[in-house]
Amino acid sequence: MTAAPFEFTPENQREFEEILTKYPERRAALLPALHLAQLQNGYISPEVEDYIARIMELPIVDVREVVSFYSLYFRRPMGRHHIRVCMSLSCMLRDCKSIRDHLHKRLGVPPGGVTSDGSFSWEAIPDCLGACEIAPMMQLDGEYYGNLTPEKVDEILEKAKEADRQ
Amino acid sequence: MPTITIDGQEIVVAEGTTVIQAAEKLGIYIPRYCYHPGLSIAGSCRLCMVEIEKMPKLQISCHIRVQDGMRVTTNSEKAVQARRAMLEFLLIDHPLDCPVCDQSGECELQNFYMEIGRYDSRFLDNKIKRKKAYPIGPHVILDQERCILCSRCVRFTDEVSRTHELGIFERGDRSVIDLYPGKRLDNKYSGNVIDICPVGALLERDFRFQCRVWYLQSQESICNGCARGCNTQIHYNTARPYKSQGRRILRLRPRFNPFVNRWWLCDEGRYGYEFINKNRIEYPYLRQAGQLELSDWDAALEETTRALKTALEQYGPESIGVIASPQLSNEDLYLIRKIFGELMGVKDIGFKSPWEKPGYQDDFLIRADKNPNSRGAEEMGLTSDVRTILESTGAGRIKVLYVFQHNFNAPEALELLRDTSVIIYQGTNWNQTAERAHVVLPSATYAEKDGTFTNFEGRIQRFRRAVPPLEESKTDFEILSLLAERLEYPLVYSDPGDLYMEWRGQSYEEMDPYGEMLG
Amino acid sequence: MPIVKLVSEYFGNEQARNLDWYQKHGGYAAARKALFEMTPKQVTEEVIKSNLRGLGGAGFPTGKKWSFVPETDDLPKYLAVNADEAEPGTFKDRYILEWDPHRLIEGIIICSWAVGIHQAYIYIRGEYVRPYRILKAAVDEAYQKGILGERVLGKDFKLDLHIHRGAGAYICGEETGLLESLEGKKGWPRLKPPFPAVVGLFKCPTVINNVETLAHLRCIIERGGEWFADLGVDRNGGTRLFALSGHVKRPGVYELPMGTPFRELIYEHGGGIVGDRRLKAVIPGGISAPVLRADQVDIPMTFDDLNKAGSMLGSAGVVVMDETVCMVEAMHTVAEFFAHESCGQCTPCRHGTGWVYRIVSRILEGHGSEDDLGTLMHAANYMTGTSICALSEGASMAYRGFLTQFPEEFKYHVRHGKCDVKEKRQAVA
Repeated sequence: MTAAPFEFTPENQREFEEILTKYPERRAALLPALHLAQLQNGYISPEVEDYIARIMELPIVDVREVVSFYSLYFRRPMGRHHIRVCMSLSCMLRDCKSIRDHLHKRLGVPPGGVTSDGSFSWEAIPDCLGACEIAPMMQLDGEYYGNLTPEKVDEILEKAKEADRQ
Repeated sequence: MPTITIDGQEIVVAEGTTVIQAAEKLGIYIPRYCYHPGLSIAGSCRLCMVEIEKMPKLQISCHIRVQDGMRVTTNSEKAVQARRAMLEFLLIDHPLDCPVCDQSGECELQNFYMEIGRYDSRFLDNKIKRKKAYPIGPHVILDQERCILCSRCVRFTDEVSRTHELGIFERGDRSVIDLYPGKRLDNKYSGNVIDICPVGALLERDFRFQCRVWYLQSQESICNGCARGCNTQIHYNTARPYKSQGRRILRLRPRFNPFVNRWWLCDEGRYGYEFINKNRIEYPYLRQAGQLELSDWDAALEETTRALKTALEQYGPESIGVIASPQLSNEDLYLIRKIFGELMGVKDIGFKSPWEKPGYQDDFLIRADKNPNSRGAEEMGLTSDVRTILESTGAGRIKVLYVFQHNFNAPEALELLRDTSVIIYQGTNWNQTAERAHVVLPSATYAEKDGTFTNFEGRIQRFRRAVPPLEESKTDFEILSLLAERLEYPLVYSDPGDLYMEWRGQSYEEMDPYGEMLG
Repeated sequence: MPIVKLVSEYFGNEQARNLDWYQKHGGYAAARKALFEMTPKQVTEEVIKSNLRGLGGAGFPTGKKWSFVPETDDLPKYLAVNADEAEPGTFKDRYILEWDPHRLIEGIIICSWAVGIHQAYIYIRGEYVRPYRILKAAVDEAYQKGILGERVLGKDFKLDLHIHRGAGAYICGEETGLLESLEGKKGWPRLKPPFPAVVGLFKCPTVINNVETLAHLRCIIERGGEWFADLGVDRNGGTRLFALSGHVKRPGVYELPMGTPFRELIYEHGGGIVGDRRLKAVIPGGISAPVLRADQVDIPMTFDDLNKAGSMLGSAGVVVMDETVCMVEAMHTVAEFFAHESCGQCTPCRHGTGWVYRIVSRILEGHGSEDDLGTLMHAANYMTGTSICALSEGASMAYRGFLTQFPEEFKYHVRHGKCDVKEKRQAVA
């Protein structure tokens, strides 16, 4: 079964056109275009790569190079909510390992995995997220949550699930 | 024009020359992987680091331009130690594949290691596993573990073939070179990535496990695939016929010529040597009672001489037609003109098949004319119309038709080659024209003889014999000389070099290695 | 020394995000002064006098950097604002982006006027989603109210400002890695020379400045370069933001004059060590800076003093480690980071970071040997002075810092196959 081709919604198409005006060279619009595509599609599938290669007028291998180089582009479907637990030095000093282990237990899938109901996916990353003053911390979707304890983590997961229900 | 001193030797170079290029002009070869003169500068392997006076850090010589008064040491302790360290880094994830890797013997990792390395490995951890023995196209097979990420192949597909099949994905030591999934490396120049890969990451499928490179010998030649005349090397093995089922020619490689093909060779040329080994006419044949029967040189040449002499005596030179070939060398064509044109008086000598359609051409190396010496045949004046010659044969005016090498397989042509005349075929491989001949004389391919081709631009280029003619075949020069002797023509050429000398007033040795222009 | 509130004046005050409030409290007056009362050269002079240095990590004198841009007019000039804050232990730029975006915009205007730039991009790391939204709102408002655009603040000077989000790669904080990423490619740093001031974004002359560096320009123009220089020490001008984290009671961002000793930052402002335990080690400027021992905390926090001590001030990400920390484990975390973030372009960094990580992992698991310690030093030694960019340099310095400052811990691990610090911790517990 071949997947349906991808294309921007009319609104995103307009936004893409606007993005192009910000740069003197077309190529520079690649990262923003990929962010926009991921927002619409949830992840960068081969169909997305194909579409982006066409509208950006680039060889598709160039698109794949960029997608595979950067950590924030997903190449497979993720959960409705994505969690990134910081495992960098300042967070290590404030016991982020316990937070990671707790999340592992609560979500039931190892880092990099997606829960069976598709609600959460998560990673434990060596990159510093730039919020060391609230270590240990994690990022859920766009927001930073810090000074974490197992209880706080549970609260945050609950709130996210509740927001889904509404 | 800045002056630079490298390892104590001084040289003046053009503005903009890099240190690595200046060193090469002095005959100093600085070790490198990512640098290749035909590609953009990557500066990523870090092997070419040298010490430059007044600069505290080592500099990569592939990138830094010559400044007037620069003093460079390529082999200082500091530079050598750094190079050794870079090699050690590269060997961390490089698999210990030498015993099963074709590149062994011509591997730059082995070579520089033997020159500079010589240490015991202190790597005790696990190497990263990646794709191995993974065909990525009709001609190329990839081994990601062996790859040292010099990026030459990626730059080639971006800048030279401009087909963008390859990329470097991921980050850090997880970086890999690969195709986009579902794509193939099938552009018309794909084989070049094998040449430029310094290690055994990109290898030739055709050559894989065929022969160890230290058993190969090399000869300089010219590709016969089209009118470009790319310079090649024929790699052959005749000393050990028990290897690879007696295959004589193992592979072709491009040879650098700044005016013709630079460092490159198209795939059709690179892999177009099958005909040298397969489907060859190996012995002379004579038609007896309607069938081609195995014969010998004496009988075949006797019959040829008889047919020519009879026709000459009874009907004169108008009854003889010669169709030479743009596959033949200038020397062969010169001899044909001498024997048939000058001495025999034949006027109907042509070379160009009207049924041969022009093939694919691009704006890089490939020419539509798939013959290596059309220009040569033109210049020799062998320009009678071939269709007319064949029509005259069909009509009966031409009683003896001497055909060299052509494969006339158009129905129109075959109609004309009916049994009414005597057809003498001198060529390398079996085809429908050879099958209609009365006398079949087996000739040698370009790989089995010496000579020159003139490319479409008028550049005369020399090719040299790599392997001896197969079985009973003989070079065109030899066959024509024997024929001339039987016809009692007083020719005194001992080898093609004599013919070249008479034609151009120059010896082969005096030729410019990059070719001589006509005119 | 007391905390100074120049660039951090509005931290914690949501109102500062509002342009009208910002202007009412003196905002954009410095930009107006630069545009209407000073020539571009005079602005650059003032910045040179101030001894302002790059606050992203390299510490290069800002005014001097601007002066490297050629004066010719045949190519457009660009400003790339480095908001790709990703050096572990660093979070100060985030505060400026979240609390005081207009101060950054004002600094951008001042810099653009000084160098002759009409197109600026803010490269903000992809993970900073909230700061991006706040920044975007501020930029949009600035356009609406004529602060940016065809006539900046009413002057016949055009300046366009766009925000470009990154996508998660530490190497895009390196100047030329940032440019490559802005141009839509992988963040592979470029060979230098040529330097960005001459051949930069889209092959045009480009200035790349850190967020905090630009944020200081308002005060420098308001009160003069000399005043700013006098706040600091020698050639380290003014104040700067220090991001304090790790085992301190009050982690956070503190603005202090250059020259403040670490001891003061950690104990006076940071409240001392959590649980009043003993200090063991301090990383002074993001994890690329070699770690300092507890007995070195009286070193003044300046670029030059730290260079002399064999470390660096870098991004001023100060990470405090107490006596419970195993330095081998700390190095392991640092090594994992560098191996993950190496872009992979050049040999020493690509393989060096991976090799070091694998060896330290093995040592931590208890299977290391004395030889491994020699190998680690060797790898680190050949990752410096051999690579395309400074990531390898930073990694090399970090590794050597751990190995030379705490050799006994590494030796214990390889000799006994276990951790003495952990043992002591368990014994105490």
